[in-house]
Amino acid sequence: MVEATPPMVVVSGAVGASDPPAAPSVVFGEGRRPEIATQVRMDAFEGPLGLLLSLIEQRHLDVMTVPLGALAEAYLDALAGLESDRIGNVSGFVAIAGQLILIKSRAMLPRRIDPAVVSPDEAPDPEAELRARLILYRAHRDAGARLQAAAIERVGLFRREPAVANASGRAGAVIVPRPMDPAALAAALVRMLRVIPPPPPPPETVARTITIAQRAEIVRAALRGADSIVLQELLAGVRDRVVVAVTFLAMLELMKRREIIVEQHVPWGPIIARSTTPEERAAAGGILTDAPIDESLESFA
Amino acid sequence: MTDLDGAAEPLGLTEATLEALLFVAERPLDRREIATLAGVDRATVDARIGDLEVSLAGRGIRLVVSGERVELATAHEAGRLVGRYVGAGATRLSPAALETLAIVAYRQPVTRGGVERIRGVDSDYTIRALLHRRLIVELGRSDSPGRPFLYGTDFEFLERFGIASLDELPPLDADVAARLVEEAAERAANDDIDAEADDRRHDAGPAAETDGSSPGVAVGPGPG
Repeated sequence: MVEATPPMVVVSGAVGASDPPAAPSVVFGEGRRPEIATQVRMDAFEGPLGLLLSLIEQRHLDVMTVPLGALAEAYLDALAGLESDRIGNVSGFVAIAGQLILIKSRAMLPRRIDPAVVSPDEAPDPEAELRARLILYRAHRDAGARLQAAAIERVGLFRREPAVANASGRAGAVIVPRPMDPAALAAALVRMLRVIPPPPPPPETVARTITIAQRAEIVRAALRGADSIVLQELLAGVRDRVVVAVTFLAMLELMKRREIIVEQHVPWGPIIARSTTPEERAAAGGILTDAPIDESLESFA
Repeated sequence: MTDLDGAAEPLGLTEATLEALLFVAERPLDRREIATLAGVDRATVDARIGDLEVSLAGRGIRLVVSGERVELATAHEAGRLVGRYVGAGATRLSPAALETLAIVAYRQPVTRGGVERIRGVDSDYTIRALLHRRLIVELGRSDSPGRPFLYGTDFEFLERFGIASLDELPPLDADVAARLVEEAAERAANDDIDAEADDRRHDAGPAAETDGSSPGVAVGPGPG
């Protein structure tokens, strides 16, 4: 929108209980080109009828009698000043502009006024139609303004309800602002700190040592109760990967010591362990049980 | 409360007991609800409500009536004082919202198309905003094509604008009021043509049943 050149005439009404409702605000600036100098404040009204009515009221014309066609030019001027980003509404404004131009054209053309030859099918008079719309619109716009005036004057009706009861609990108390005493603030802070319990200590991380010897003993114990065991079954339910790995190492250690024989027939298949028979141990040169299990993993390197 | 079963003995309804009931209720009560509670017929309830309305005229507490429901509320003369006490201010709306609210209040039940026909501008957003503030409510659906929603006002509107009933709405322009009466008669025979496509932007869910009355026939408050 192009700024109008001062001075400007600002047309707007005041909303009051008994006053006629406010006309939408239209600003007419003095300039050579009215379409540039005219500003239409879209926040004051909405819609093409509001704009047309504001033009009528700004000129202190009577909507019941004003020749609407005569307003076509003023309406188009005001339309030219509209912000272009309101395309959605512009179609409505253009429709009214078209209607005004039609009314103006009809007024300029000579017409034979003879009720006898008027066809009943003839379209209704566009001016009367538009005037009726304007009157209807104005009635409701004014009624809305009167409602607003009533709301401001009366504030409202209040019924007993929890919200009002709660509000009334707070209301009525006279609040006397007092200078804030820094010492009181500090004391309040100390009290608050005393009330707040100390934060709980973070959970302590307890190192758990899993040794190959422990896991080897578990494998041995399992084999004492069965001819063979499946490693996957032994570790079923164990979610700690360290336990799984150490158990596997324990199994390898037991293999080295010729205590067990481990077989896996297919890749990813069950790992089956069984105790060596005395013959197998004898053939391999005897069982190596004397040396303690090496936990350093160096033997696997 | 010991006699909450349906076979409770009728208690009858006097003006005083009605006043006490409405005083305790923290919400509007339906006339049928009152009749059931007191064990009286509907005509008695209507009569007692009328009596109470007359008695309370000029008092600080008034009867507020919206259709079938009634409530006790402060008189509008006390609004400023009570509002100051509870810390409530006057409701203020934009001109667009006021226009729309006035159209709904005076022409209810009315469809969005009916509102837009008068305002000449898309009113979807404004209607949603008013619905959100409960200043207007959905009354049902029109029987016209598309079954658009019908809008009207409820207690929130009356309370916020200090009106005890729709009869207290300030009169519309006399010519327009006369026109509304004519329109109402016309529309009793013809469906609202503006209704088509009115609710395309609304949810196209299963249509709710209305009371079967023709849309837009009611003319809010009559010519004043």
